[in-house]
Amino acid sequence: MNTPATACWHCGAALPADPPVAQVAGSPRPVCCHGCRAAAQWIEGLGLADYYRLRDTPAERPVEHSTAQVWARPELARHAVRILADGRSEVCLLVEGLRCSACVWLIERGLGTLPGVASVQVNATAQRARVVFDAGRATLPQLLLALERLGYRPLPLDARALDDARRHESRAALKGLLVAGFGMMQAMMYATALYLGAFDGMDGATRDLFRWVGLLVATPVVFYAARPFFAGARRSLAARRLGMDVPVAIAIALIYAASMVETLRGGAEVYFDSVSMFVFFLLLGRHLEMRARHRAANLSDALARLAPACADRVRADGTLERVGAVELVPGDRVHVAEGGILPADGRLESERCSVDETLLTGESLPVTRQRGDTLVAGTLLVQGPARLLIERVGADTALAGIVALVTRAQTERPRLAQAGERAAAGFVARVLALAALTAIGWSLIDPSRAFTATLAVLVVSCPCAFALAVPAALTRALGVLAQRGVLVTRADAIEQLATATHAVFDKTGTLTSPELRLERIEAHDGLDREAALRLAVALARGSSHPAARAIALTLPDVALPAVDGLQVLAGAGVEGRVAGRRLRLGRADFALDGTRIPAGLEEATVLAGDGRLLASFQLSERLRPGTRDALDALTADGLAVEIASGDAPGRVAAIAATLGIAHWSARQRPADKLSRLTALREAGARVIAVGDGINDAPVLAGADVAVALASGAQLAQASSDIVLVGNRLDALAGARQLARQALAILRQNQRWSLLYNLTAVPFGALGFVPPWLAAIGMSLSSLVVVLNALRIGRQEHSPAGSPVAAVAGAGA
Amino acid sequence: MNILLAMIPLSILLLIGAGIAFFWAVDHDQFEDMDTPRLLPLEDLPDEQPPEEPPP
Repeated sequence: MNTPATACWHCGAALPADPPVAQVAGSPRPVCCHGCRAAAQWIEGLGLADYYRLRDTPAERPVEHSTAQVWARPELARHAVRILADGRSEVCLLVEGLRCSACVWLIERGLGTLPGVASVQVNATAQRARVVFDAGRATLPQLLLALERLGYRPLPLDARALDDARRHESRAALKGLLVAGFGMMQAMMYATALYLGAFDGMDGATRDLFRWVGLLVATPVVFYAARPFFAGARRSLAARRLGMDVPVAIAIALIYAASMVETLRGGAEVYFDSVSMFVFFLLLGRHLEMRARHRAANLSDALARLAPACADRVRADGTLERVGAVELVPGDRVHVAEGGILPADGRLESERCSVDETLLTGESLPVTRQRGDTLVAGTLLVQGPARLLIERVGADTALAGIVALVTRAQTERPRLAQAGERAAAGFVARVLALAALTAIGWSLIDPSRAFTATLAVLVVSCPCAFALAVPAALTRALGVLAQRGVLVTRADAIEQLATATHAVFDKTGTLTSPELRLERIEAHDGLDREAALRLAVALARGSSHPAARAIALTLPDVALPAVDGLQVLAGAGVEGRVAGRRLRLGRADFALDGTRIPAGLEEATVLAGDGRLLASFQLSERLRPGTRDALDALTADGLAVEIASGDAPGRVAAIAATLGIAHWSARQRPADKLSRLTALREAGARVIAVGDGINDAPVLAGADVAVALASGAQLAQASSDIVLVGNRLDALAGARQLARQALAILRQNQRWSLLYNLTAVPFGALGFVPPWLAAIGMSLSSLVVVLNALRIGRQEHSPAGSPVAAVAGAGA
Repeated sequence: MNILLAMIPLSILLLIGAGIAFFWAVDHDQFEDMDTPRLLPLEDLPDEQPPEEPPP
């Protein structure tokens, strides 16, 4: 995607009045700041300007305050760098802002040009880069600086992350899948020859040859590819549960063992094709599920991003020293500059500061903290600087507490799907009992037929169709949803999404964009609105408060009155002199300096001159595009929608009114939201929670279905079941429609396989089913299940004309 | 049918060969990054080609 000329060529942000210009590929391109200009020029200088044609999302704005140098400290670098056997160093970096394939391309080439860098390997889905470098010619800070200049935020991960468990898991799964796939293809080929031979009269020696090669190819499938099922069964049995893995493992082992016995003694029939196919289809389902899971963020990444890597420790003589955040201990004093993130929990020692505590409360505006107040790690210092006496570090911080809350809520999550699994397990247990009965019955009547009949029961009722009924439908649904920008990280979420009755939305950042917008200006005291706005913008330019930024952005390019003695007062507003008059912009009680505040202005931003009211500004939040349609579609779909926000009641009410939502609650802390959710669930509701912030994480973890926005906090994504990649809420309505269709087809599959089994098993048990017919029946029943599952997501099957179908179509 | 005695072992040998190649590929990072390789052919465009204008 290339950005229009009104936006920064590099990062896509809005352009200021007089933008700096970068020369890229011979053409002048406007950019939003000097950091972006430097990044663009540097990319051009490396001959990598193709990046701008290859990328599909704008780049991240380059960081202003680099922390790269702190990694030169050996105490810190030791944690991140691993020395390889040949003396070179290897480091694994978490690269924030790495979003598309063009970024991968840019990073690999950008870092590759540095002297001393031996290899760069970037994984876009995990947002990681592994760099091998010669520590004599390149240093860690140099690598980090190079990435920062490209506009990314690199963070060296703990060296232990190099032996990534995730990487290991996906490789093992891929290998198992391949072995099962190859084995299945070959076993089926040999089986076809055997089945045809049964009609045409194959001679015994050829038949035995095919059986032996069948055994040969099925053996690695059972002993290598199917290991996860045996391991899972062993774990379930050790925990004294009967999971799905137990009957699956028993069925695989029995069919394989029986076929082997038949091969050895030249018996009636072998089923190596059935057992290989069974293993392959089940592994395929698990593999797709695992890939979806890996694409979502994990908790350790989330924590690594939230807390800063380094801190400025105050020495005894008052000077500052850059140290790693891991080196801090309680009792240390740290200095945090404006715009910095607090490295640990502590008590404020400076007079006052203003912090953004969205992390804990979800409050969208910064709050003021006084000397002695406790501040928590991960909060953003909006106005500072601040000096902090550290009280708690690492695992004791409030941030770590939230993570613990998430983990707990996750383990307490209701597992509706466990019921389905239990049903399947129960079914298989009954089939096994029936097979045992058949064996006993026939050995009393006619022992020579006992083995064949028992095997026929096992194969004809092979849990294939039954076991595939759920994974086939879920896998197809996961695939279709992923194409539409809805990543499902936990497969049961499909069922719960389809059957949910309530949806609870967070407000800030979920329904609304994070930025504020100037809604209404009221001028007083004979001033016209234009003049009032001009004065306010002149003052607002001096502050980084979201309200000030919203006002400043309304008039980017006009001549403004000059302001003398501009002063920002944390938590109150801005003060300055224009043409000799003392002007104040900010909260009403500050701007009007103690005089009576007119009604209706308590929450407004006020401009005053010498204590007299000049103008008032009503700021409002902007709705995300498509929010209204999405909520209408969900309501039309029968969901009860409500808002639970940490923000002030006025702002929540305004948004609720705009969206036509009757139920809302404000000033909710994470614990309040969680108890609201519990109350709903105890009343029998099944709840979808949608959020984006860290403060939403516990709520998300406690809901039946948790939906997070991809732009939101990593922690929120880590505790969610569904991630909306395009940040469009209307994808959710389409996803629900699809989930319902998937559930209907899933139930159809289950009914069909149950019907098939109920019909076929008695015939098998009575000895009427010749083994080749049992095998064909089993294959056909599985095929029907798989083909039926492929219908999920076809447009002609969703009711045409409904708004939901239209949304789903637009999202596809 | 004696040809089977040659063809079946041959098919199994091919299978083993394919399996070894695939295991090698998995272990040598060939499946780590499924996104970048599709961009690599675009990298070697001659420099004189005018850069594409962004859509308005």
